[in-house]
Amino acid sequence: MLTFSHFILGLFQALLLLAAAPLVSGLSRMVRAKLHTRHGPGLLQDYRDIAKLLTRQDLTPPNSGFAFRLMPAVMLTTVLVIAMGIPMLTRFTPVAPIGDLITVIYLFALARFFFSLSGIDSGSSFSGIGGSRELTMGVLVEPVMLLSLFVAALLAGSTNLGAIGTAIADGHVRSATATVIAALSFAYAIYIELGKLPYDMAEAEQELQEGPLTEYSGPSLALIKWAMALKQTVVVAWFVGVFLPFGSAPEMSFFGLLFGLVAFAIKLVLIFAAVGVVENSVARVRFRLTPQHSWIGVGAASLAFVFYLVGL
Amino acid sequence: MIPLSLLIMSLLLSCGGGILCLLLKRREGDIRLGGSGVGIAAALAGLGAGLTAIGAGQPAVLDAAGPYPFAHFVLRLDPLAGLMIAVISLLSLVAWIYGFAYVREYAGRGVGAMGFFMNAFIASMMLVVAADNAFWFLIFFEMMSLASYFLVIFDQDDEAVGAGFLYFLVAHGGSVLIMAAFFLMANQAGGFDFAAFRAHPLPAPLDSVAFLLAFIGFGAKAGMIPLHIWLPRAHPAAPSHASALMSGVMIKIGVFGIVKVGIDLLAASAGPAMLGWGLLVLAFGAVSSVLGVVYALAEHDIKKLLAYHSVENIGIILLGVGTGMIGMALHQPVLAVLGLMAGLYHLLNHAVFKGLLFLGAGSVIFRMHSKDMEEMGGLARNMPWTALSFLVGALAISAIPPLNGFVSEWYTYQALFAAALDGTPLVAFAAPIAAVLLALTGALAVMCFVKAYGIMFAGAPRSHHAEEAREAPAAMVAGMAVLAVACVALGLLAPLVAPVMGRIAAATIGAAPVTLAVGATLLPGDAQQATLSTPLIAILLIAMAFLPIGLKAAFAAKRGGDRKAAAPWAAGYLPDHHMPATAGSFAQPIRMFFAPLYTLRRAIAGRWTGITLGFERVVTLARRTEPLADRSVIAPIVGVVDAGGKRLQAIQGGDFRIYCLYIVAALIALLALAV
Repeated sequence: MLTFSHFILGLFQALLLLAAAPLVSGLSRMVRAKLHTRHGPGLLQDYRDIAKLLTRQDLTPPNSGFAFRLMPAVMLTTVLVIAMGIPMLTRFTPVAPIGDLITVIYLFALARFFFSLSGIDSGSSFSGIGGSRELTMGVLVEPVMLLSLFVAALLAGSTNLGAIGTAIADGHVRSATATVIAALSFAYAIYIELGKLPYDMAEAEQELQEGPLTEYSGPSLALIKWAMALKQTVVVAWFVGVFLPFGSAPEMSFFGLLFGLVAFAIKLVLIFAAVGVVENSVARVRFRLTPQHSWIGVGAASLAFVFYLVGL
Repeated sequence: MIPLSLLIMSLLLSCGGGILCLLLKRREGDIRLGGSGVGIAAALAGLGAGLTAIGAGQPAVLDAAGPYPFAHFVLRLDPLAGLMIAVISLLSLVAWIYGFAYVREYAGRGVGAMGFFMNAFIASMMLVVAADNAFWFLIFFEMMSLASYFLVIFDQDDEAVGAGFLYFLVAHGGSVLIMAAFFLMANQAGGFDFAAFRAHPLPAPLDSVAFLLAFIGFGAKAGMIPLHIWLPRAHPAAPSHASALMSGVMIKIGVFGIVKVGIDLLAASAGPAMLGWGLLVLAFGAVSSVLGVVYALAEHDIKKLLAYHSVENIGIILLGVGTGMIGMALHQPVLAVLGLMAGLYHLLNHAVFKGLLFLGAGSVIFRMHSKDMEEMGGLARNMPWTALSFLVGALAISAIPPLNGFVSEWYTYQALFAAALDGTPLVAFAAPIAAVLLALTGALAVMCFVKAYGIMFAGAPRSHHAEEAREAPAAMVAGMAVLAVACVALGLLAPLVAPVMGRIAAATIGAAPVTLAVGATLLPGDAQQATLSTPLIAILLIAMAFLPIGLKAAFAAKRGGDRKAAAPWAAGYLPDHHMPATAGSFAQPIRMFFAPLYTLRRAIAGRWTGITLGFERVVTLARRTEPLADRSVIAPIVGVVDAGGKRLQAIQGGDFRIYCLYIVAALIALLALAV
């Protein structure tokens, strides 16, 4: 059940992730610069960007309405709430009533809803198409996410993310093959969700998919940039919490949490470094060919499901 | 007996209201006031009847002899009927409030008749769900179809009449099948009472035949794919408050019928066959939900878009109902209650948000006089309350937490999960696939409602009408506000609502109630499986929102004032109003990726067009043969009668005394005959 200390832990990890998110996106930029053999910005560049943007004037297009103004706050808020429910430092979910796989998927849909809506609301043609593409990616990715997590949940007997992670960490899963394949397909879905090449470039505002950012400026843009960095971190934490829970604290204890924090940080850095290598060694895929790629994810998740059914 | 007396009061008020609307004829102001007043009173009484019936432990039964010796007039208010009556009443309450202002759109075109048919429609729906006798059930079912048919063709243009004809055809095709199913059961039971149906189970192959007949019949009413074709044509044709009732409530009668036959009437006879029925319902539900939303995405007509979403949501409800039936077949009462409860919860939720969305669309059409989304845009500025209500409905139907649509879909997922965990291999195979299709549906629904809200209310106005639009009249806003608040309440108060739904499901199945909520936490019978707390999510969302808002405010002093000036970037060109996303362009990727499914729609539509054409040919043939019969049979008879009359005119002298003479002569003749 949800106790006060669990709640404080959830709040702590959400704020910690918020504080660390620009660092993580800074790391991505640094890795890219190194792979391009550029000098590149420093690790803290994203903090400086956000601080600068917060003091700039907020310009909005004349035809935009309240959806456009609300979006940055809604997005950051939603991702923060999701961060409270995902197991990161611990095996169990800090705020269990949020840490359900279905709830998390649909909370991400809340962020997606407003993100895309702001694209139409800005009145810009680029933003509108960007919103449409963002939603299309959601359509292609969400079923893969659900099926791979559903298979893992069936193996663990619970849809709670912490319970799935615990079962995997303890080896209490009926089919190891199914778990591994489900982890791979979920990782693939997560990768698309990160908004990296070859499917997208989260940093490049002139890319259509991040179109909704086109019309934002000043503090609103700062909030969105921060929210997007946080979202990337939370999405990876989601994968880590479910499929790579090794090293996290099984119970609430100071040293357990400390150890869990160190383990989590190491996993995060390793994964983002690996993501950096992948995204810089591939070319952009044409948008209309994306479904052919996402079918791989569907296929992998289905394979995991078949292995689960057979019980191998 | 309180529920029954309240129900009868509501029905009498509806009858009175209907007659009042007809009697007042041309005084339309009085009709609006009187009709809405009586309608609201009837709806409140109905709401009371429904809620007390849900609360009461025992079903209330009224058994009257009625005019027919073979069929008693039996009304039975069990919790399931109570839920349906509460939903009908809630929606009709809102429709009457809304209609008070909305029917001005139809001034001079028979507002009285519209009021009459609305009353007849609402009363007959209530009677259908309360009737406990197959004969009366069918009578009221027909009444409901007829009353709604007249609402569909109310506009009297070609589109409406064509849609009405198709609707008429499908509705009656469906009721023939339902009739056949009931006759099979009546044959076995020796009477038309549902109580007798329950007491005399059908033998093995016949029960599946009866279920299939009823499933197709009620499925046509519910609008499940591939029997949906009438729905996207008929619902948009009706006046918006009638569309809200049709999409929000009437199609649910189809689901109610499937539950009634499959879970209530045939439960005793269903052995292993029930597993097959449950899987069938699950399969139809999954297909309907995905295809419904895929087709909705391609629509530009806002009411057609909403109508396709009804197909989708009927699919989601059927997923829950199907899982419930699977649970019954597997003798797992917890799974059965969980599944049926998820379906019933979604039934209630869909009634609320779909009613809201149809009313919102009606308000926009009321001001715009167009259903085409491409002509709208930027309406949030001039119609803020309508926009806000529509946004709440859009978020709810997209199953965004913490609103009501999410709660029922979450329970549907949990029911499917429980089925996959404990079911036979076939169920373990089918349930996760249904869950994935539900996830696909959810993602597509988000896209569709970003499009619907965005194209209608956001961005720049796309036409002169959109620029000039004003907020809808107060009564219409009030109607929408009631439903918007209900959307939020049914989501946030889910820990109170879910156990009630669970009790209704348990009473319908005849199983023990399942723990569905502890404190403010929702759980699917077992806290180990999952937990959810919508109030907590809402509180956290609100609390966390202070962070970005505070952050923005903290730096406000350091920066220049916000400005609303810069035209959107258009790659260096001058932005013009053709550039922003349109309803067509927004959904274009999906139309491209799901192209085969759209081909399938054309194929289904083509089949139906074939059937309709066939019927039209019959009608034409009938028109051609009618004069033939006229010439050869009717005309000679008329001629003979005419000639006889002419001859008889001779004895009409016109003199009063001659007539007296005739009378005396007739008297004498009669006397002579008597003697």
